[in-house]
Order: sequence, then C-alpha cells, then structure tokens
Amino acid sequence: MPKQIPLVDTDIHERVQYEELLEYLDEPFKHYIQNCHWIQEKHMPYTQPSVAGVDRADAVVPDGRPAGSDLAFMQEQLLDDIGHEFGILTGALDPSPSSMHGWYEMAAALASAYNDWQIDKWLDKDERLYGSVHVAAQDRDEAVKEIERVGNHPKMVQVLLPIDDIMWGDPYYHPIFEAAEKHNLMIGMHHNEPPVYYGKWPRYFIEWHTLIPTAHMKQVTNMIFNGVFEKFPNLGLMMIEGGFTFIPHMMWKMDQQFRDLRHEVPWLKRKPSDIMKKHVRFCTQPSEELNKKDFMSLIEQMGTEEMICFATDYPHWDYDSPHRALPNLDQELKKKIYFENAKNFYPKIPDTKER
Amino acid sequence: MKEQVVCKTTDIQPGEMMESFFGKQNVLICRTPDGKFYAFMNQCNHQGAPLHKGMICGATTEQSEPGEYHYCHKGEILRCPWHGREFDIKNEGRMLANPDKKLPSFNVRVEDEDVIVYK
Repeated sequence: MPKQIPLVDTDIHERVQYEELLEYLDEPFKHYIQNCHWIQEKHMPYTQPSVAGVDRADAVVPDGRPAGSDLAFMQEQLLDDIGHEFGILTGALDPSPSSMHGWYEMAAALASAYNDWQIDKWLDKDERLYGSVHVAAQDRDEAVKEIERVGNHPKMVQVLLPIDDIMWGDPYYHPIFEAAEKHNLMIGMHHNEPPVYYGKWPRYFIEWHTLIPTAHMKQVTNMIFNGVFEKFPNLGLMMIEGGFTFIPHMMWKMDQQFRDLRHEVPWLKRKPSDIMKKHVRFCTQPSEELNKKDFMSLIEQMGTEEMICFATDYPHWDYDSPHRALPNLDQELKKKIYFENAKNFYPKIPDTKER
Repeated sequence: MKEQVVCKTTDIQPGEMMESFFGKQNVLICRTPDGKFYAFMNQCNHQGAPLHKGMICGATTEQSEPGEYHYCHKGEILRCPWHGREFDIKNEGRMLANPDKKLPSFNVRVEDEDVIVYK
C-alpha cells in the first residue's frame, strides 16, 4: 500500500475487559458480574491457532493486557504505524451480547454498556475511529431500542449482527433494518462461532476456519432472497472477515436460481447479482495470497471493482498487512479497495478534508 | 558489514531465541536443543511478522497416517506469531507446509562466548 493512498480499515477489533464495563452497566447486571462471578461461556473446542490464542502475539499490550484493549498501543502499533485515514471498530469479543444464548436481558444490558464504553473510550478519543452499534439482536425489540438510543451518534456507522445460527433476513428481524436505515447506518455482519458443519463443529480448527465463508454465504443469500434490500433500498451490508473469493460463485448461482425459481420470491425486482453489486460489500481479509493475474480474474468475474474493501482484522492472528496481503495492483484499483469503496459505502464517514 | 557479534552464547538457552541486529538488519538468533546457533531475517516471509514474538516448539510431521500424531523436532521449529506458519530451523528455515519457501538466513559461527553472524 503506497503512502499516497489513504486507508479505511473495515475491521479493527477493540476489546473490553469485564472490569472496564462495570461503570457502564446498570444494576443488577453489574452485580451479576461483580459479585456473582458471571462470565460468558464461550469456547472453541480446538487448539489455538497462534502463540497468543486468536491474537497476534506482538499485539498483546506490553503490560500484559489482552490484544486490542488499549487505545494508545493500538495507535502506536496500527493506526500511526500504518497511517490509517479511518478505521471501523468491530469489537464483539467477550463479553459479547451476541453470544448470550437465552439470557436476553443480560445481553441487552451488555450491548448498551458496550456502546457507551466504545463511544467514551474509543470513538471520542481518536478522530480516525468509527464504531459499530452492538445489539442483542436475538431480542429484536430491545435491539431496535438500542439503535434508537445510540444510532444517531455521529461516529456510529453500522449495526453489528453476529453470524451464528440466526438468519437475519427473516422478516421478523426487519424492524432492526428499519431502525438502521432511519439512522443512516449500514449493517455489518461478522461471524462469532458459526456452526459451519451441519449445525456442529467440525473435527479440526482448520476445517472450521476454512468453512467460515459458507456461513457468510448463507447470510447474504438469506438477506437477498428475503427481500431486505428491496424493502430497505438505502441499506447496505458489509460482510466482515469472511474473505471475498467466493463472490463470483454466489452471483452466478443466485442468478441462475433466480431465472428458474423466481416465482417463490416475487418481491425481487432485480437479479440477485445486481442487488449484491449495489448493496453488499465484502472485507478482503482473510486474503488467500492470490497473484495479480488470479486477483484480476476474480475482479473481472465479479463485474465490478467496487465490492471489496480492505480490512486488517487487527489484532487477530490472521491479520492482513496493508503492505503485504494483496498483490501489487494498479493504482486506481488500489485506491478503490483501500479507501473509496468503504468510504462510499458508509454515508457517515466524512470526506478526508472535512475531518 | 561482513561479520558481527550478535550475542553471547549465554544469552540464549537451548530451545530459545532472541532478536538482534546484524548491521541495520533485524535478525533472529535461534539455538536448538543440541546447542547450535542459527540466524534468520527476523521477518516472516509471508506478511512480515516479527518472528521473535512467536515460539520455538516441535512439529507434528507429515509422515503421519490419518489420525496419527508424532510430535518430534522439539525445539527445532519456529512458529510465526501471526498466522502460525512453521519453519524448520535445522533445515535452512524451510516452511513445513511448503519446503520450497524458506526464511532468508545468515551464516553463524561461535568463537569463545561470542555468537558471530557473517556473510
């Protein structure tokens, strides 16, 4: 990534620790953490991918706190070092409102506390950083209330929905999209621990991690065929951390199916690939070490240079370096992937000079 | 820079590593359990991670049948701190998953207690 190209990094994980969240939590939820030893049950039944678990080992904060938990260190190691123009925070780690199983009340309380903490400790502290509204989307009505509460914050650019085992295109969840559209927010989808293997975990981490794009494909297919983008024409969907090399297959497959089976989804007024081109964007990370020829072949198959946006996924173990992850592309295309595509996608990100 | 003392032998225990400099070049000095020293460029050839933040460990080898594990080469494998790629210290820093790729390396000799990297 040459210096003269600005960067919008579409996936940066800030991390909260329980003790930091307490001051933002209402009772009795604070009490449940402080006095009743509640911690989130979240476990991947695998060997960890790297020395520091799922984080870059060199991103652990020098004082021992977990990677992503300190703004100053993130500024030094990522934002200043790379020279970010903008970065989108996608948090969602433990304690995550999206992984609360049946305890919706705690999940909604965590979401509100998380948003207040995110605004206070990150968005208000670094002008480059923009945020994601965390919601307990499994409790639709509480999610809508939370979007109404913080969605108009000038630096909140999207509502974050987890990719787990709920298909968000279901009309039951459409009030969430209505609220997002009202506040000029996009939808960001990021996987948590999706059951990619017929609703279960595969035997090995390498299988699970290879198959994550299938969980992303399911959500995009579901959102499109359920008519979300026909119903909410100003809504956009950013698919985060699933990669992008499956895009041509999805477009071809959905278009072919649409030609044969349109009668089942008569609300679609455009062919699925056109909906994807207009409304759906994909983060590049984790990229697959394509050479320039293969990369350009994919772009040609997509039929547009505007669907993919660069992401580092800092501080996770499969981080993509803006300098090394993609092949050496032509300047105009680089500018789109590193900056313009994301800038054009998020209406609340200002022009560089306005900042 | 033709040669340079990069550390003392006592600075690194067998099975450990440390970063140092050979001129302006950031290098990684590894010491295998047999006491020998090796030097590589301290940057992963994939995306540039600082290798000294990774680990030295052993490897499960490709000689396994499905379902079989053999943990060997203990203390001879360098594992990247980002994506977890494994490099064989005693086999020219070759990557286990693709031995055609290897880490750039430097010559090393030991004189008394000095570990010397040279071209």
